[in-house]
Amino acid sequence: MSAGIISADGVTKVYGGGTRALDGVTIDIEEGEWTCIVGPSGSGKTTLLNILSCLDSPTDGEVIIDGATVTGLSQDELTTFRKQNIGLIFQQYHLVPYLTALENVMMAQYFHSIVDEEEAEDVLRGVGLGHRLQHLPSQLSGGEQQRVCIARALVNEPSILLADEPTGNLDQENGRKVLELIRSLQKEGRTIIMVTHNPEISRLGDRIIEIVDGKVRSDLRTREE
Amino acid sequence: MLLRILGKSLARRRGRIAFAVVSVVMGAAVITALFAVSMDVEDQVSAEFRKYGANLVVVPQSDTIEVGFPGVTFGSVTEQGYIEEEDVWRIMRISWRTNILGFAPFLYSVVRADSETASQDVVMAGTYFDKQVEIIDRYSPSDPEAITTGISVINPWWLSKGDWIGRSDDYKSALVGINVAEKMDLELGDTFSISYEPYGGGNETTCDVTVVGLVETGGYEDNQVLVNLQLAQDMTNKTGKVHTIQVSALCTGCPVDTFAEEIESEIDYVEARTVKQLVSAEMSMLTKFEGMMAMVTMVAMAASVLGVTTTMTTSVIERQKEIGLMKSVGANRRRISALFLSEAAVIGTIGGVIGFIVGVFLARYIGLSVFDTAVSTNIILLPMAIGISVAVAVAASIIPVRRAQAVEPAVVLRGE
Repeated sequence: MSAGIISADGVTKVYGGGTRALDGVTIDIEEGEWTCIVGPSGSGKTTLLNILSCLDSPTDGEVIIDGATVTGLSQDELTTFRKQNIGLIFQQYHLVPYLTALENVMMAQYFHSIVDEEEAEDVLRGVGLGHRLQHLPSQLSGGEQQRVCIARALVNEPSILLADEPTGNLDQENGRKVLELIRSLQKEGRTIIMVTHNPEISRLGDRIIEIVDGKVRSDLRTREE
Repeated sequence: MLLRILGKSLARRRGRIAFAVVSVVMGAAVITALFAVSMDVEDQVSAEFRKYGANLVVVPQSDTIEVGFPGVTFGSVTEQGYIEEEDVWRIMRISWRTNILGFAPFLYSVVRADSETASQDVVMAGTYFDKQVEIIDRYSPSDPEAITTGISVINPWWLSKGDWIGRSDDYKSALVGINVAEKMDLELGDTFSISYEPYGGGNETTCDVTVVGLVETGGYEDNQVLVNLQLAQDMTNKTGKVHTIQVSALCTGCPVDTFAEEIESEIDYVEARTVKQLVSAEMSMLTKFEGMMAMVTMVAMAASVLGVTTTMTTSVIERQKEIGLMKSVGANRRRISALFLSEAAVIGTIGGVIGFIVGVFLARYIGLSVFDTAVSTNIILLPMAIGISVAVAVAASIIPVRRAQAVEPAVVLRGE
């Protein structure tokens, strides 16, 4: 197996009750690559994303991220590794409802290291929300909430961004803006892994990995090297 | 940032937080009230009990002589014993001396009292009223300590009218029991004479004294004439002698029996008797009150713990996604614990402060309705109420916090 920024080798995940969500998945993702993971509902793509983002641990197999083996780490060790290396973008945004857009971003700084309000404002301006800093999530549109979520993922400058259906809850216009933002982040050199069920969106990435029944069914590049 | 998260989180869930605060307030109020009542009323109850008299009486060991022939006993006679006045101060040399409020020696004699309108036999009690006594410490004999003692110190409530006899060399003043005053038609400022005739004959001694105060105790003293000890000794020719010493010990939990034993070893020819019924009643009531206090406190604390645990558990369940999110962006278990324990501490602090205020009023109500006394609350109870409330709230949050620590972000963030 070649040494990409993320390597999964024979990753298997069996949930309590015997459900085999992943079955020996082996993938290798290069630095700066935008990889889309596709597959039908229940295929195991979100489980794979959770394992790659250190939110979950595989039952079997090995995951190496940026040269560090993360399988076997404790929950707190995984948390520490995640906050230093990975930014997460969620389909449901998962913003803290009683904190403003700015505070939601600052919260990620607080749990990472130190809070820098100016830096948090800059990141929000970078995603086009300079005028919405003091708004609560309930006062923002879906697209704006997703951009707050992206700003929160970016504020600690991770090298890897993992996104789970980032446009799943957005209309076409807002979805387009978010995808443009993700494209620009990739151009800055970040590695993007995005789970989507939308074939059109998946073609925006450099690579499409199809998961079916917990196994890699196909692994295609969307454009020639 | 923690403060921002904390403040906004608490403000958003005002209703639930209020429930937790109210449960803490209940506990803090009960604790404050009961401690206030306990601290204040214990002192007052002790004082009330002491009104009934000294709780230790020191008498000379009696020498009993059997009368009769070998094998035939007619009975016994008890020789009148005395305590040397020069030994009286030794009572203050016991190790529990700081608990001794004061003492007063007594020399009793039957005298004839003659006023303008009446004449009758009464008991004359010579005693200290307000006398300076030097106490020679065992370890620094060259530096005696002067204390003021006498019945004005140990039984200040005896005086119903007038004044105490201020000087120990005042031979012209007397305090009269209210029964004596009534029978002999004596009032403050009246002068009457007292005469002592030794048993078995001898020269009668007479002295004119002026009534400076009236005594009302509900006891024997109401039928007595009280004069300075020196006067009584001179009139009865019993210089340096006393019959008994009454000792008032401040004792809400200390061993009075031990006081007695120590006094007996300090003055080896006396017996020190505890006024056992009085002491045991005092102990019993206070013990019962403290027992009740402990029980009510435990119930109140249990209610507080239950209230806070319920609120915090509900909070953790409702905020699972938030906890999962915080973990996903880098919050480790320690940070999550800090967040919830800080919330608990805030609940405890607010509950403690409000509980203290409620407790102050509760204490006053209990004081007036149960003990018929106004209870004052010591401000020291405020930090105590806050401390206990915070400790209870934090302890009650341990199980919910563990639940928060166990939240798996991968599970809660996908909405399962």
